[in-house]
Formats: sequence, structure tokens, C-alpha cells
Amino acid sequence: MKDLLVILWHYLGQYAKTRLAYKADFLIASFTSILATIAGYGFVLVLFTRIPHLQGWKFEEILFIYGFSLMPMGLFNIISLNLYEFGDAYIVEGKFDRVLLRPLHSLFQVLFENFRLESLQEIIIGMAAVGYCSVKLGIPWDLTNLIEFPLLVFCGAVIYIFVFVILSSVNFWFEDRIGIAPPVYNMIAFGRYPITIYNAFIQFLLNWIIPFAFASFYPTVRFLGRKEFMREFYLIPLVAAAVVALALFVWDRGVRQYKSTGS
Amino acid sequence: MPIFSRLPGHEGVTVPIIEARNLRKEFRVFKRREGVWGAVRDLFHRDYVTLAAVDGINLNVEEGEFLGYIGPNGAGKSTTIKMMTGILVPTSGEIVAAGLDPYRDRTRYTKTIGVVFGQRTQLWWDIAVIESFKLLRRIYDVSTEDFRQRLGLFGELLGLDELLHTPVRKLSLGQRMRCDIAAALLHYPRIVFLDEPTIGLDVVAKDRIREFLKEINRTMKTTILLTTHDLSDIEELCRRIAIIDRGRLLYDGTLDGLRRRLGRFNQILVHLHDRHSGLQLGQALGSGNGIQWEHLDELTCRIHYNREQVSSAEIIRKIVNQVPVRDIFIEEQPIEEIIKTIYSRGL
Repeated sequence: MKDLLVILWHYLGQYAKTRLAYKADFLIASFTSILATIAGYGFVLVLFTRIPHLQGWKFEEILFIYGFSLMPMGLFNIISLNLYEFGDAYIVEGKFDRVLLRPLHSLFQVLFENFRLESLQEIIIGMAAVGYCSVKLGIPWDLTNLIEFPLLVFCGAVIYIFVFVILSSVNFWFEDRIGIAPPVYNMIAFGRYPITIYNAFIQFLLNWIIPFAFASFYPTVRFLGRKEFMREFYLIPLVAAAVVALALFVWDRGVRQYKSTGS
Repeated sequence: MPIFSRLPGHEGVTVPIIEARNLRKEFRVFKRREGVWGAVRDLFHRDYVTLAAVDGINLNVEEGEFLGYIGPNGAGKSTTIKMMTGILVPTSGEIVAAGLDPYRDRTRYTKTIGVVFGQRTQLWWDIAVIESFKLLRRIYDVSTEDFRQRLGLFGELLGLDELLHTPVRKLSLGQRMRCDIAAALLHYPRIVFLDEPTIGLDVVAKDRIREFLKEINRTMKTTILLTTHDLSDIEELCRRIAIIDRGRLLYDGTLDGLRRRLGRFNQILVHLHDRHSGLQLGQALGSGNGIQWEHLDELTCRIHYNREQVSSAEIIRKIVNQVPVRDIFIEEQPIEEIIKTIYSRGL
């Protein structure tokens, strides 16, 4: 475990050197990434200039959920770059061969070979939003909350990452450049709002099929004092563990299935 | 039919470092229909065909051997290598290498092997070579002293020193290949797999790589398995060759053994004294008896003959007695031609 952390650290160093080889590229990417996040906030703001309440949810509450959801998503974005192009770069072009030739777990290498550090801004902006809203809503930052909050962010990131591990594994069977990840990626946005604003079908989908509600909405309910969702709140670590277990199983099956390229 | 002729002196002395038994790998390939309409129909119903890329191979490699693994394109060479390195899981049969199952014990096994694919690099594309080496040192858990010492040795043998601080993407093919080979050997693997390491390289680069491989094989007793289309690689490096075609092993033994079995044709190169002797040569040799001859230029002829029908001595006697010649050279049939015969007609 300690060894893995050391190697993770060196992968990060390697990434930094690579990015520094193309400085302009890094600056432009950071800039557009910040713009995209601000545009997302803009949407929430515009929404609430029209309607003061969304099914009994105040503006600050929605913003709190939104801000929180940016943190696990930011972590996910920092790590998930390789997952996003997994079918393309690793399966179709056969880069996965090299991964299998190194004495580390294949998933570890795929996750940490590349990063998207500009997504750090999502975490920072998310923190600012959460900070602002908790003052407005009078959420106390006592010891329990301080310990719980990062754990919930961690669980959320784990859910996002391993859902996409499952989706990427599909590429082992269906060799495809793009795969089914992009439409699901767009669904992350659905999880940023209170689940009750959706119809029963989407609620079911976000709860039990692609459990993004457990990554971004349910983690906020205790802070917001919404007692009616406490059952789901306590299920968060279980859902995260289940997603990880399923992902590792499917991944392992997929690796056995890996066909490599012709030459 | 596969033929197993073991190297003399190797029987039962040691446990082979690689042992493949009845190795088989099938791929399910789906037949794409042609045209747009065909593509639409493919969406609803696909026809699959099962193809065996490797079809029951038995191969033992002893520790310290330098084995050349050859065959035409699509014969199953890469598939075999990929199973032996743990990338692909065999459909049936088994491999034990360095006492491990390449797939099941993958993380442990990869520490004992080094792999070079000529077609693609193992190094990180955008950063200096030395940075890739340093990361590999971490991944393979090589101590700093070992690392420094090995880097010095490889630097000297492969001439890496001026390349170490160049980003990989700026290296020429030959330079990149030298770096790739060094990278694959940094952890001093017991077995090295090289898949076409000399592809696309010039003579000097090839020679450097061959010398290095010879040295490593000799001094460290590293077992090396090499696939190549360049038979001069094989002639220079490999004591033993295995030929595969359509997933089956056609020959396993020494290069000389192959020559003895199949090199039925020898050739004699004759330098004539003057341009008029050409006609006399034709008369001297006569027709039939499996003798053929061709003019390379006005004063040079090459005679091909079947060793089983006529001896070299007999031909030389005929020529020297009747034709004024300057020089005579007896040549063995080039290994390329022998291999070509096997690829097109089998053994």
C-alpha cells in the first residue's frame, strides 16, 4: 500500500513534467475549465432569478448541493481522464498491452497514468459555494461535520470513478472507440439537484441504476437537515462499496477477455 | 507436421524456463458485410467465425537459450508471445514460465520478464528518456545503486548517454529502440521477449542492438526469445529456431539442422576468364541432372544444383576441365530461400 502511494506520487510527478512540456496547452485548458464551471453556476443563478423556490428548496440549499457535487466530481475529473479515453487509446490502439506488462494492478495504472489537474478549480469553486451557503443557512462546522464532509466527498468520488470503471470495462467486450461513457457523463449533472424534482423513472435511475444521487445529493441531506432522506444517507458507504466490488469484478472479467491488437 | 528435434546435450538436464503445452488461442471474429446496407444488417445479426491464431503449440525453452521464433505475417507469432507474457489468456493448454503462470501470477511474473515490441514504445512519449527510466526504477523496485550501475553499463553498450535527456518523441527510430531495450532490461529480467526489435532499422543500428543482445545473453544467461522477419538477425544470434505457420509449429531445432534437412540446393559462383567461355560452360554442364545456371553478368555465372542428384566435386571437375575460369565459390542456399520454401510449401 505504501509502495503504491509512492508510485502514485511519481506518476503525478511524471504528469507534471509532461504538462510542463506544453505550457500554453495547460494554461488554455485551465482557463476553459474555469469558464465551464462558472457557466454551470450561471445556470443555477438564472434559474433562481425566475423562481424563488424549487419544490420547497431554497436557492442557498440548491447552491450548497451544487457546490458539494463539484468536489467529488472535481476529484473524479482529476483522476478519470484515462477512463474517458479508455476504449480509444487503451483498447483499440492496444496501449493496454503495456499496462499488462508492468508489475502493478492494471486498473491502478489506467487510473493514475494521466491526470487532469485543472479540475482542481472545481473543488476550489465548490468549496467557496459550500462555505458561502453554510454561512447563509447557519450550518455549524463542528467536529462531526468536519470529519464527515471529506469522507462524503471521498465516497462520492469513489462512486463516480467506479461507475465509469464499469462503463469502460464494457470496451473489453465491444471494442469501440467511444463507448457509452459520454451520455452517462452528462447524467452527472442530474445528480446535482434534489432528487424529488424528477419523475419516478429518473429518480429510480439515479438511485439504483447509475447511483449518482448517492454521490452528490444524499451526502448533503444531513447538513441541510432533511430528515426524510436519512435512510439513503446511511446507505452511501454501502453503495460506494457495492459499486467498487462490481467494478473490480467486471474489470477483472474484462481483462481476461482482452484481445489486444493484431500485431 | 511438427517436428521436434531437441538441441543435443539439453535432454533432461534442467527444467525449462518456459514450458508451453498444447497452447491454443482462438479468436471469435465477426464477418462484416460489405457496403452500407451490409453495415445496417450487421447491427441486427452478426455472423461469427472462430479462428485459431495459435493451434496447439508445444515449446520448451531452456534457461540461457537464444531462440528465434519466426513465421510469415499472421502466423501466430505475436499471439504466442502475448500469451507467454501474460497479455492474452490462452483458450486452452498451459504455460509455465519461471515457475509461474503468466496470466494468473501476472504482477509477480512481469518482474521476471522484459518485453520489447518493435512497433510501439514502452516509454512515456513527452518526457526525457531518463525520466521514464526513473519511473520504471520505482515500478520495478530497483535499488538506486543497481540502477546507476545498470544505466552505466547499458549507456556504454548501447550508446545511450547523449539520448538520456531527449524527449522520446524527438528520438529517431533506432535511438528509440535502443532506449526501449534498455528500459525493458533495467530490472534484469530472467526472460526477455523481443517482438521485431530490428524492424525498420539501418545496418549500424541493427548491429549495435545485436551485439548488445549477444552480450546480455552471454554474460547474464538471460533467456531471449526473438521474433523477426530479418533472417540475418536469426543467423547472427539464435542457436535455435522455431518456425510457426497458421498457428502450428513447423520446425523446432538448429539453423544448421534446417539447412541439412531442406538445403537440398547448393549454388556455385563461377568467374569466367573471358566472355567467350560462357558458351563452353553451358556445354560442359549439359542439361538435366537438376543443374540450372544463370548469367549474372558477362563474366559471372551462378549454377544451381540439387545436392542429392549431383555432387559439388563433379560439377567443379566438369567446369575446370573444359572452361577457362578465374574463380569458383561454393555457396550455401541462403536461409531466406529455405524459409521461403517452407512458408509456401511447408516442410
